[in-house]
Amino acid sequence: MNSAWHGDPLRVRLSGRGGQGIILSGVVVAEAAMLDGKFVVHTQSYGPEARLGASKSEVVISRREIAFPEVVLADVLLCLSSDAYQKYGGRVAPGALSVIDDLVAEAGRTTGEVVLPLRRTARELGNELSANMVGLGALIAIAGIVDPEHGRQAIRQWVKPEFRDVNLKAFERGMELGVARAVAP
Amino acid sequence: MRLVQGNEAVVWGALAGGCNFYAGYPITPATEIMEYMARLLPGRGGVFIQMEDELAALAAVIGAAWGGMRGMTATSGPGFSLMQEHIGYAAMSQTPCVVVDSQRVGPSTGQPTMPAQGDVMQARWGAHGDRPALVMTASSVKDVYDTTRLGFEWAYAYRVPVIILLDAVLSHMRENIELPAVAPSPEISQPTGGMSPPFGPYPFVPFSAATRTIVSGLAHDESGATRGSGIGAASERILQGALRQIEKDASRIARCRTDRLEDAEWAIVSYGITARAARSAIDLLRRDGVRVGLLELHTLWPFPEHIVREVARKVRGMLMPELNLGQLVLPLRSAVEGICPVSALGRADGELFTPEAIAAAMTEEIQQIEVGGRVSHHA
Repeated sequence: MNSAWHGDPLRVRLSGRGGQGIILSGVVVAEAAMLDGKFVVHTQSYGPEARLGASKSEVVISRREIAFPEVVLADVLLCLSSDAYQKYGGRVAPGALSVIDDLVAEAGRTTGEVVLPLRRTARELGNELSANMVGLGALIAIAGIVDPEHGRQAIRQWVKPEFRDVNLKAFERGMELGVARAVAP
Repeated sequence: MRLVQGNEAVVWGALAGGCNFYAGYPITPATEIMEYMARLLPGRGGVFIQMEDELAALAAVIGAAWGGMRGMTATSGPGFSLMQEHIGYAAMSQTPCVVVDSQRVGPSTGQPTMPAQGDVMQARWGAHGDRPALVMTASSVKDVYDTTRLGFEWAYAYRVPVIILLDAVLSHMRENIELPAVAPSPEISQPTGGMSPPFGPYPFVPFSAATRTIVSGLAHDESGATRGSGIGAASERILQGALRQIEKDASRIARCRTDRLEDAEWAIVSYGITARAARSAIDLLRRDGVRVGLLELHTLWPFPEHIVREVARKVRGMLMPELNLGQLVLPLRSAVEGICPVSALGRADGELFTPEAIAAAMTEEIQQIEVGGRVSHHA
């Protein structure tokens, strides 16, 4: 296990379109890593629009205090849209792990890119907006960036009560997708 | 331990500083400050009000101060420009208040969601006329809390509008920190009665039944009188007194943090969010055997000349990276002129400096100085 995603600091970038809950998913990762007992810094970046436009959310996780708060090359990348893939797909560290939605046509050509039906799974669950949590579940199952139980706890803490159940369900489905992928050759 | 956003830390710091009045107008990236205030203040016996614009917001805060409340507002570049009028008014009327400016890329509407440090000169000189100014900044969520709390203390100690400069990244950044518990409704005892004159080097006394204070933006003497011979001289006397008081306390006011300066041959002088990249740049440079340290300024105005000079005497050169095209480097250069050379590194495109970019600029400066050439100023 000497992949980039087991290093310290661990640099996580979550990306997609505005409105896909990218910033929320970053907050969930940060909260879960905090519950793991780590130092965390979460930053967010988006355009001036309320919807659409590129959105990214970054979390730096470390056992030590963190100086530079942003991510230059990510160790772990989640990508929910083509725009985001074009922008950030290549901005990863050697040995990085990327989990990319399978509706992103160009994805899956590079080692370290795991293509999964994140948005389609969320749609099956009745809410495509929970694709962020499907993605998080998959990311956590494959890369082990945080304790899954702390992931669930963080979702309960940060997701509005009316959307809690669908997000938790999406997270579990994502974990299943990730586990299946992690054991498959 | 809790995940706290920079803008939320402003609010808790303000409450710890006794803030019980907020007036504002929403603007990215400062809006969350207003949202938290709207949620927290009414339940704690405070007053929250959304005004029609930024001019009115600061006017309301000034009025609230004279009414006996401890007030603040928060905004970003375009709103900060509008507030200059009343920052001047607060200075002229010696009204304590706190103004937070979360800097974004300007001028004008610029890039609303992207960080900058382009308001550091405006924070000092944006209002017309001469005035004392206290301007602080921060580089972490915990810093934001401490700085805002201290902002209220200083606003009352020196009777000035204290300005706190954040940026779009720090405002929206979350870190896990331990926040001290803030008492549910802090009891603030304001001095009452009119034993001393209302203006000049005397404590701030809000309106009460015992006072007959007239507050005006016109030049005035210690009693508040705006007419008669000698008003101009009186007004200058009050202003000079305020400037001298801040100068006298310069060593207390000038807050900074140093990192690995003990054996440093070179120094990066930085502030705000950029100082975080600078600290990582120092890790990179030290790994290559370069003896470099960091001077991180928390107080920007009054510019801490004595501190930068002390560091300048120990090093061979300085680099100031900042998210503008060369602003705070000007007072830095003038303070250390003849002691050590200063390079500037600036950008105003809405991105942070990476540690690598700062390390490269430092390396370039070192090479130029070591070959004996003059330092180029690539701002």
